[in-house]
Amino acid sequence: MTHILTRRATLILTAAALAAPAFAQEADWPSAPVHVYVGFPAGSSPDLLARIITEPLAERLGQPIVIENKPGAGGVIGIQQMLANADDGHAIGTSINGPLTTAARMMGETGFDPQADISPIALIATSPLVLAVSGESEIADLAGFVEAAKAEPGAMSFGSVGQGSGAHLTAELFNSEAGIEMLHVPFTAYAEVTTSIMGGEIDSGFMAPSAALPHVEAGNMKMLGVTSAEPFGQIPDVPVIAGNAGLPDDFKAELWNAFIAPADTDPAVIERLNAEINEILQDETVQQKLLDMGWQAAGGSAGDLTQRIADDTEMWGAVIDTVEAPQ
Amino acid sequence: MTALEGIAYGFGVALQPGVLIYCLLGVTLGTFIGVLPGIGAMAAISLLLPITYYITPEAALIMLAGVYYGAQYGGAVASILLRLPGTPQSAVTTLDGYPLARQGRAGVALFVSMISSFVGSILGIVVLVLLAGWLSRAATAFGAADYAAMMILGLVAAATIGSGSPVKSFAMVVLGLILGCVGTDVNSGAQRFTFGQTELLDGINLVALAMGLFGVAEVVGNIRDAERQGSPERVSFRQMMPGRDDLRRMPGPILRGTGLGSFFGALPGTGSTLSSFLSYALERRVARRPERFGQGAVEGVAAPEAANNSASITAFVPTLTLGIPGDPIMALMLGALVIHGIQPGPMMLEARPEMFWGLVVSFGIGNMLLLILNLPLIGIWVSMLRIPFRYLYPAILIFVCLGVYSVRGSAFDIGVVAVVGVAGYLMALARFSPALLLLGFVLGPLIETNLRRALLISRGDPLVFLERPIACGFVIATAALIALSIWQARPRLRRNTGESDV
Repeated sequence: MTHILTRRATLILTAAALAAPAFAQEADWPSAPVHVYVGFPAGSSPDLLARIITEPLAERLGQPIVIENKPGAGGVIGIQQMLANADDGHAIGTSINGPLTTAARMMGETGFDPQADISPIALIATSPLVLAVSGESEIADLAGFVEAAKAEPGAMSFGSVGQGSGAHLTAELFNSEAGIEMLHVPFTAYAEVTTSIMGGEIDSGFMAPSAALPHVEAGNMKMLGVTSAEPFGQIPDVPVIAGNAGLPDDFKAELWNAFIAPADTDPAVIERLNAEINEILQDETVQQKLLDMGWQAAGGSAGDLTQRIADDTEMWGAVIDTVEAPQ
Repeated sequence: MTALEGIAYGFGVALQPGVLIYCLLGVTLGTFIGVLPGIGAMAAISLLLPITYYITPEAALIMLAGVYYGAQYGGAVASILLRLPGTPQSAVTTLDGYPLARQGRAGVALFVSMISSFVGSILGIVVLVLLAGWLSRAATAFGAADYAAMMILGLVAAATIGSGSPVKSFAMVVLGLILGCVGTDVNSGAQRFTFGQTELLDGINLVALAMGLFGVAEVVGNIRDAERQGSPERVSFRQMMPGRDDLRRMPGPILRGTGLGSFFGALPGTGSTLSSFLSYALERRVARRPERFGQGAVEGVAAPEAANNSASITAFVPTLTLGIPGDPIMALMLGALVIHGIQPGPMMLEARPEMFWGLVVSFGIGNMLLLILNLPLIGIWVSMLRIPFRYLYPAILIFVCLGVYSVRGSAFDIGVVAVVGVAGYLMALARFSPALLLLGFVLGPLIETNLRRALLISRGDPLVFLERPIACGFVIATAALIALSIWQARPRLRRNTGESDV
């Protein structure tokens, strides 16, 4: 083995050396602390959700997990930062549905392609939205709401957490399925939407159950329906919208949160993470913690998540088409 | 539970040794990071968040709150001694605090700021206890039209902050308004002045802008004349004793500042930065000799400090009673509660009285601790800023970078600080007021979003500003203020035209 290194051999060796970290991953990943990029600030719902999972995950992986909060642009910056720091193979992330499904449509340019640049790991949890109105509203149920909206098209208003947000698109989906017209009033946070509803300024809004629940308990707001297919564990008494008040039986709109990795991550690493996360999600205390925050533990294979991203991109894309269509 | 019972109950919570120690820890850390220019409460609270998993939710909230209002105390120190605001809220304290320090009255300025902070906080607590229910109802009663009308009044009132040329002042406010437009338009979702930068989609970071304008610009400016100026003088407790004239000037501004601060603090989204600016503007308005402002007027330190401290107390009203965080730091504190499975909202006072009353009493205890930390021990904090400039200023630049980065972990924001810092230095050379730019930046988006939202909800009918009683009141007040300004300016204009010295 004393050959003089030819130029070609040097090239091959260099290439091998460059590729080495990728091969090394299989055997002893993780060999360093794992960085989990979260596109929302510390203390926010996606951040707390990530922390609930990463705490037991760090124990199972035998390496510390560092949460990197990179908030901005509805979660898009978190993914950009994950991709920018992908080199050492220890950068993964969590993302809500928006950046992986609708962001490219809403923002024009996100700097990444969810199909080509992202390798899905596992769905963590899903959350439906509830349709809420003021506690003083005369509307008693979903049928009454649809009736009132039909009586005077465009007179009812709904708040959302921004143009193209899950709350906005869900309401638009509801409008087209129920055959009603409502005025969209964008805000930036659920707290603003609930305040505006309770102050009588706007009529309604789709929102996370945990955003509405404290006000419902205080009698200041009412929940008329939930967008999941089955009644939701955190608010079991709220009827599902599907099949109610003339809406189709398959009406369903859910937000979700998932673990993702850069596209070139070793498939063995993805598989390992998927298995560990699914086991963590089986734990009843973890499920309860998620439910207390308004999230239903999900899980499933990486392939399931890939399918979910594709389905939701298509479904919300169609809703955006109707919103953007000239009226 | 009546307020008295609540307070008695709160003492039982807040005086537990395991809680008291976290209160002390919080306010001490708050003062420390407040004194250091650049690093604000946001950085400290983000770092402390993981610790809160392991302590009781009461202790966690009391500690984080201590950092929050403690930083307001410390923020004034560097504003006065170095013209470097420790926090954006204390930016306005530089306007008169620094001139006082240059006149050799740094001790008095610090004393005034500490006492005003203390009295503002204590009165803020009284307002919180007596009016929590009313304030939380007021917060829901305020609609978009009311906010828009109120902010326009604020903008008109505050247009008098600058002491230089009115044209330059106007230019700065407008530039601030324009910078406030950067980002995604809430109403249409359109991207404005983002130049394809994802980092700009949520707008320019307030902390980066404030630290660039005040922090970096001041450091750069001082490179030139640092050696001449020398370090801030040593300040002893004795030098802090104000003269009789100073004492006489304090009560009015403190009370007015507290009133404004308590009110604005309780309204979500307006925040303590705005209240300190507006209280300064108000003092100039009511002063018999407004030209003293900017030259070291004690009122110019007392009012904003009382305002931002009382605002930092009443800001807990919407946070705890409605679950509406008034600013990003409050949102972070709500997150700390959610970790413990507590959902802040209208039911919290009944469901978790130990949280509410424990926190209220801890405010009182924390402010006493802050007074003790800051008055006799002021020398320690001042000595932090007496490190020779050649070490201190590079260190400050590092703290500014760390502090700005910590807000959202963005290296882009450090670039913003650098660019704004250079611009701020040039502005200072040309005598443009960065405080007015900051004011336009804070007010602009609030006015625009609420104005457009109000018109959207009213289907384009501008009469909504006169039909809603709250909005109508602000519109009348704005009109009256403009009329008053014109009337006051009249004799001066006539004299000017008579002399025709242009």
